Amino acid sequence: MFSRITYVFREMWASLSRNLTLTVAAVITATVSLFLSGLTLLIQEGFDNQLSAWTKGVRLLVYVDNDATPEQLKVFTDALTQAKAEGTVVKDFNYCDVACSVDVAHKLYAGDPTAIELYNDKTTPSFFRVIPVNQSSATQLNQLAERLHGLPKVNAVVSPDQMITTLSVLKGFVGVRSLIMSIVLLLAAVLLIWNAIRTAMFARRREIEVMKLVGATNWFIRLPFMLEGLVTGLIGGLIGGGALLAVNQDWTDGITTRFPANSGLAAFVATGSTPWSIALAMVALGALVGAIGSATAAGRFLDV
Amino acid sequence: MIRIENVTKTYSTDVTALRDASFEVNKAEFVFLVGPSGSGKSTLLRLMSRQERPEKGGVWVAGRNIVEMPNNKIPELRRKIGNIFQDYKLLLNKTVFENVAFALEVIGKPKQVIRQQVPQVLEIVGLEDKADRFPHQLSGGEQQRVSIARAFVNRPLILLADEPTGNLDPGTGEGIMRLLDRINTTGTTVVMATHDQRIVNQMRKRVIQLDRGVIVRDQHRGVYD
Repeated sequence: MFSRITYVFREMWASLSRNLTLTVAAVITATVSLFLSGLTLLIQEGFDNQLSAWTKGVRLLVYVDNDATPEQLKVFTDALTQAKAEGTVVKDFNYCDVACSVDVAHKLYAGDPTAIELYNDKTTPSFFRVIPVNQSSATQLNQLAERLHGLPKVNAVVSPDQMITTLSVLKGFVGVRSLIMSIVLLLAAVLLIWNAIRTAMFARRREIEVMKLVGATNWFIRLPFMLEGLVTGLIGGLIGGGALLAVNQDWTDGITTRFPANSGLAAFVATGSTPWSIALAMVALGALVGAIGSATAAGRFLDV
Repeated sequence: MIRIENVTKTYSTDVTALRDASFEVNKAEFVFLVGPSGSGKSTLLRLMSRQERPEKGGVWVAGRNIVEMPNNKIPELRRKIGNIFQDYKLLLNKTVFENVAFALEVIGKPKQVIRQQVPQVLEIVGLEDKADRFPHQLSGGEQQRVSIARAFVNRPLILLADEPTGNLDPGTGEGIMRLLDRINTTGTTVVMATHDQRIVNQMRKRVIQLDRGVIVRDQHRGVYD
């Protein structure tokens, strides 16, 4: 048994080093293919995170006339408190009075003195900031906006339903396409690795023929080749996965250091365990494809 | 040891390699298969080691019909058969010792058995002092001796030789035949396909002649034609 194990590993190593050019070609193919596949998955993850971040910021703004009495404002507060208690439409709300509203406007237009002059306690209405339960449902936001519009002294209701619709469409559009791209690249990776190993196998067809004729079993013949394919795929997966983690780290650092926090791009990264999971999946995929590729390629030359 | 019974083998609708061939080869017998190219000699050898299967008929080797033999039993069969080829089929990146040892390694023989049996067989074929050479450092005759050593190292019951002297000059070919004869005297059955008229006439062994897939002559102590 020990001599068989020694034989399998020795033959595997001998083949890898003997066909060095082919081995390097197979490893590079595996590396590039797996790196690209993983990169597509990372981009998809980053895009998903970015869309989720944008969606989380959705607020409904209900502007109230400045001459609204405290009683009228209380009608508002009671209606929203009741809606919040129901828990189906309003998640939370707060009130920004005239002073707060002017302050917000001044912050928004800090660089535009003319605009700042226009926003004062006579011209700027106070507003209720309403956070909906479902931040990605344009329909629910519209229904809520209509309901609030019916209350007294409402100046305007600003609903980001259009933005929500755009984001939903964008998510579906990009999600489906990046998923298709990932699948296509993964298939390409599988085929490229398989083909590279098949080429390496072709170079050893005489050896396989001799093994068959002297009475080696198919499994005994396959094993060093499978191990060789597995190691080739594994090395490709490790380099590709490592490169993926390095590129992801560089991207994440770039996003956090080169763009301001409020640039709206901060979430366009894959964080937590996701990059590691993707990198590990690429390593496992490389090893699996390598082993299966070489086993099937060996099978082709086993018909002696 | 070998029984061929009413064997027909076709490669396509218009190419019949063997037609209703029947004969028996006894243990320790030496048999020449002769005939022109395409007469079915190599096909017969390939049928005996189950590299091919006939459309009709049976092939018995060491008491078993190998036509019906399941695929997982084929390696076991092939360990009882040694194969020698015109083009040697040596592994160019392995030394003489490694080429011979390879035949034992791939059937899982332990290292100590390999270390013991390989030098013995190299001595039989007269290459004990060239164990570390690579095939390209050997002459054609020496390469064929390595091929014979590889085929014989597992002490098979049968040796199947397909034109083993085809690439060699007459003198070297005679040396190879002496070696095969010597192996035959140890009890190994030898079946050899050849075109070499001189060798067949010199050896005076059993001759089975084929012509377009049909056995036209089966003669003991025969000559080429």
